[in-house]
Amino acid sequence: MSDDVAMARVELLDVANAPISAEAYFDGGDPGPIVAALASVPELLGPTLGFVGAALGDGAAASRHKEFAILRTSVLQGCRYCVTAHTAVSLDAGLDVAEIRALRGDVSIESAFHDERERALIGWIDAMAGATGPVPDDVWTSAREHWPAHVLVELSVTIGATMFLNRFATGFELPTSPDVETRLASAGLT
Amino acid sequence: MTVVATAGPIADAIAAGELPGRVWLYSNYHCNLACSYCLTESSPRSERRQLTPELMLGVAGEAAALGFTGLGVTGGEPMLLAWLPDTIASMAEHLPVVVLTNGTLFVGDRIKRARPLARDGVAVQISLDSHLSDVNDMARGPDNFAKVVEAVPQLIALGVRVRIATTTAGPLDDPALEPLKELVLSLGVAPEDHLVRPIVRRGRADERGLGVAAVARDIPSELTITADGAYWGSFGPTVRAGRLDTDLLITRTVLPLSVPANALLSAVRGLPPGNDANLGIR
Repeated sequence: MSDDVAMARVELLDVANAPISAEAYFDGGDPGPIVAALASVPELLGPTLGFVGAALGDGAAASRHKEFAILRTSVLQGCRYCVTAHTAVSLDAGLDVAEIRALRGDVSIESAFHDERERALIGWIDAMAGATGPVPDDVWTSAREHWPAHVLVELSVTIGATMFLNRFATGFELPTSPDVETRLASAGLT
Repeated sequence: MTVVATAGPIADAIAAGELPGRVWLYSNYHCNLACSYCLTESSPRSERRQLTPELMLGVAGEAAALGFTGLGVTGGEPMLLAWLPDTIASMAEHLPVVVLTNGTLFVGDRIKRARPLARDGVAVQISLDSHLSDVNDMARGPDNFAKVVEAVPQLIALGVRVRIATTTAGPLDDPALEPLKELVLSLGVAPEDHLVRPIVRRGRADERGLGVAAVARDIPSELTITADGAYWGSFGPTVRAGRLDTDLLITRTVLPLSVPANALLSAVRGLPPGNDANLGIR
């Protein structure tokens, strides 16, 4: 049993309790709380991680812009676990501290992002992930002026997968890795 | 009787010896006894984790259609479920069924409950661990020995095929088992229907340090259906310290049965051969 188990609302399986049909996910050691929680329904591991991996991984959109979508969506959905985890991933993707603070809502988007293309993209992400109903015409038009449709389609899937992860991690109160907490503290991003 | 499939990926795997032919069902987890080596920590207070008769019949029908060759029902104590004998009889319309029981609920007038089991394709497997009542009852509970030796001849007289299963902490060929074998024979059970098997170190046996340690590769890969999902082997869905083990969980999906059957086959093909034959786990 993982040390984190007492913090989560569902059991986080470790290598000793990992279902035989999910062993491969535990071969490298602790697979993290999302896999450890999902492993209790092993038939969902492959399809879910396949979808999430494709949605959040490399594609036509740059990793920097994928992190815009993931981090901003997680902020709008109030997912502490994903915000923390993807603050660290955003640093890896080359975002600076000011940009991350802006995406996290600590300061205005305008104060950190000066590229019109990126501002348009963030506005569209906000309309997709932080509201219900259609994307307003002006937001859509602005986004399309700068971004091809297929990139927006790809990022919409990223946003959707992120929203799933947001609810999964928040609903089950998945614990943040102490290593991530330490790293963010050292960057002044707790 | 359902037509048993003779072709298809599961039927082919069974024919090739890749998969065992029997599907096990854990009808329930509660029991009127609390044996010292119980794999599922069963007792009267256990969570029931009960299957419905409809699901059990569904499994039976789909098992036959996929090409499985037999069914097993275990628990807990299956005979605590009033509807179980009739369900077993219906399942036997599809495939032969063996039902595991402690036999203590067939004493006196209750023997009448066994009437649906007196038919072709059904065997009742009763646990008996020693020819000495005090030794047997130490592991299995007070009066267990007396109730079993009363029930077995009555079941046979009723027309029920009875098998005896002996679970032992000693060697499977221990000469000390000879008096028990003679007792079993005297009760009317054929030698080929007396099974001797080791205690497997899972569940309560693990907590008490009893039996042989076994990993997945050592446990026969019989598809096993429970209220909590489908497992690798009837020794898979065990309970330890109140927690249902998940290490041998294959999938939470049990119907259609092709889903867990194919998932089990994939898992079997991904593992090297085990030691089940040498350990005598069955």
